[in-house]
Amino acid sequence: MSKLALDKLELGMKLAKPVTNAGGMVLLGENTELTSELIDRIKNMGIDSVYVQGISKPSVPREVMLSELDERFKMVEKEPHMDFLKKVLVEHIEGLYG
Amino acid sequence: MGNIDVRVLRDRIENINALPTIPRVLKKLLGVIENPRISLNEISNFISGDPALTTKVLKMVNSPIYGFPGRISSVNQAVILLGLTVVKGLLLGVSVFELMQKTMIGLWEHSLGTAIVSRLIAKRKGLKEPDEISVEGLLHDIGKVLLVLQYPEEYEKAMNDSDKNSCIIYESEKTYFTTTHASVGAWMAQKWRFPRNLIDVIEYHHKPHLSKSAPVDAAIVHLADILVRARGFGFAGDRFLMPVSPEAWGRLALTEPDIKEILMEAEDSFQMTEDLSL
Repeated sequence: MSKLALDKLELGMKLAKPVTNAGGMVLLGENTELTSELIDRIKNMGIDSVYVQGISKPSVPREVMLSELDERFKMVEKEPHMDFLKKVLVEHIEGLYG
Repeated sequence: MGNIDVRVLRDRIENINALPTIPRVLKKLLGVIENPRISLNEISNFISGDPALTTKVLKMVNSPIYGFPGRISSVNQAVILLGLTVVKGLLLGVSVFELMQKTMIGLWEHSLGTAIVSRLIAKRKGLKEPDEISVEGLLHDIGKVLLVLQYPEEYEKAMNDSDKNSCIIYESEKTYFTTTHASVGAWMAQKWRFPRNLIDVIEYHHKPHLSKSAPVDAAIVHLADILVRARGFGFAGDRFLMPVSPEAWGRLALTEPDIKEILMEAEDSFQMTEDLSL
């Protein structure tokens, strides 16, 4: 699930949380698939973000994320299981960027 | 440099209530937590009497840190579902870490992340009390908060040392305090009459093989702490990692797919915790 600003919404995305008005009344339910019409409606609801399903890419660039990871592991890489954990984490982080 | 007498340190930490920087709500809350005879009703009234606290508690119980996302609408319901121990830990978490946002930016996120990953590991191992393990993860670094509150200058020096010497803060703390946040946190957990397992996890999250009463919980929080740091979520006082304890690793026996799935599930929850910035 990720929180997106309204200008980042795209056709076909699905809501991860209902969209409600200030009083808590549900305007669009969870799992609603976004159409261009719905996106326009959401933009007129006076809210600034909605939750959609799936994970958004990290805001930090991939290279920065991976070099910080290297730095974190540098003192412990030779310890048992740490090379394995590092490999898993690198693959995980690569996966976040799709 | 390690010239703070550990007895003086313990005395000052245990009387943290006397610090002028501790807000009044928190002093009242600590009184509530220390009272062994407090009932579910009293604690529920205490929370409900403070609208800001009520909001924070409800946000937390409806977050992925616990098992009922989006379904709890009243403090009463939360207290009954979670039980006294979990609620006390949760209250302490939301109120103490709020104080930290200025001093150690990122410790709150680190704590939330550790709570989430601890819960995911516990579920994967089929443990019966994932909410209790969540609280253990949330509070494992409470000693850091106490040390920063009581000794802000020394703690900053310790953080700078970690940066210079490429070591974790746990090691640098020893130079200035002759003890560590793990022991400091455990003293207070004892004083607050927290359950044995929680005290043990706080004390041994860097040395889980020494835990007598909660070796599995300690191993879980230890590994969760490492995974959250390795992922780069939040900030725990340094930019480095501690090696995983081979005993803890062996005890949990997680496979590569296990860890990958735990990380993926955690990603989803990490994004939801943006709402929990206090």
